[in-house]
Amino acid sequence: MRRSVFLASLLVVTGMGLGGIVREPKSFVASAQEKAASTAEVKIDNFVFGPAAITVPTGTTVTWINRDDIPHTVVSTEKIFKSKVLDTDEKFSYTFTKAGEYPYFCSIHPKMTGKVVVQ
Amino acid sequence: MNPFDIKAALLAKHAQHVVLIHFPIALFIAGVVFDFLAQKTRKRGLAGAAYYNLLGAAIFAVPAVATGILAWQFQLEGQKLKGILLMHLVLGSTSTILVWVAWGLHVGAERQVPERLPIFRLGLEAVAVAILGLTAHLGGFLSGVNGPS
Repeated sequence: MRRSVFLASLLVVTGMGLGGIVREPKSFVASAQEKAASTAEVKIDNFVFGPAAITVPTGTTVTWINRDDIPHTVVSTEKIFKSKVLDTDEKFSYTFTKAGEYPYFCSIHPKMTGKVVVQ
Repeated sequence: MNPFDIKAALLAKHAQHVVLIHFPIALFIAGVVFDFLAQKTRKRGLAGAAYYNLLGAAIFAVPAVATGILAWQFQLEGQKLKGILLMHLVLGSTSTILVWVAWGLHVGAERQVPERLPIFRLGLEAVAVAILGLTAHLGGFLSGVNGPS
């Protein structure tokens, strides 16, 4: 009797453990997908932000990378974020935690404009 | 933007430096050309033209430099410059000093009787034109004149 109770308990514990192992990779996959979805990139090249308008979910970190030969900046029109001068291949990131529209421009070349739409 | 809207033009982001900078560049180059011609032909009219063009360049250099420094302080919040921006600042400052020195040599000669301009000024002016040209080239590069409209 004791032996069968012990075996049953062992089976239950083993089963729970296996379940945990099987389930755990799924949660890793889910969090990895969430992480992949929470970043976006805007390239600066030939005096253009590309894409000029980008729509992202709340919590997304947008990274601007300067692929131009000329220094540029990324400055929010509403003064929410502001990068330093980005030389070639330098990056600037900002995490958008609130929904809304965030227009921005390059303060060295004010004709260069872009927009981040956070939903 | 309406080109006759003075307020909008004055408050336009960073526009003043790229507008004003053309005046001292043009006046200085014209002044140097007149000075070289005056040296060669010994004509007082050309020497006078050189003097007043260099005077104009020295005067217009003040707002051009001031607006450039203001753009750096306000648009870039005075952050430490590097690369092309730093080179533009250093070469721009050097050429401004050379413009003032060249004009100073002409003012000094004007006060002497008889008027005697040092011959080395021509070399100094030639170097100043070269540095000014390089500064202008970098400025044009930075302002995006080669970029898409």
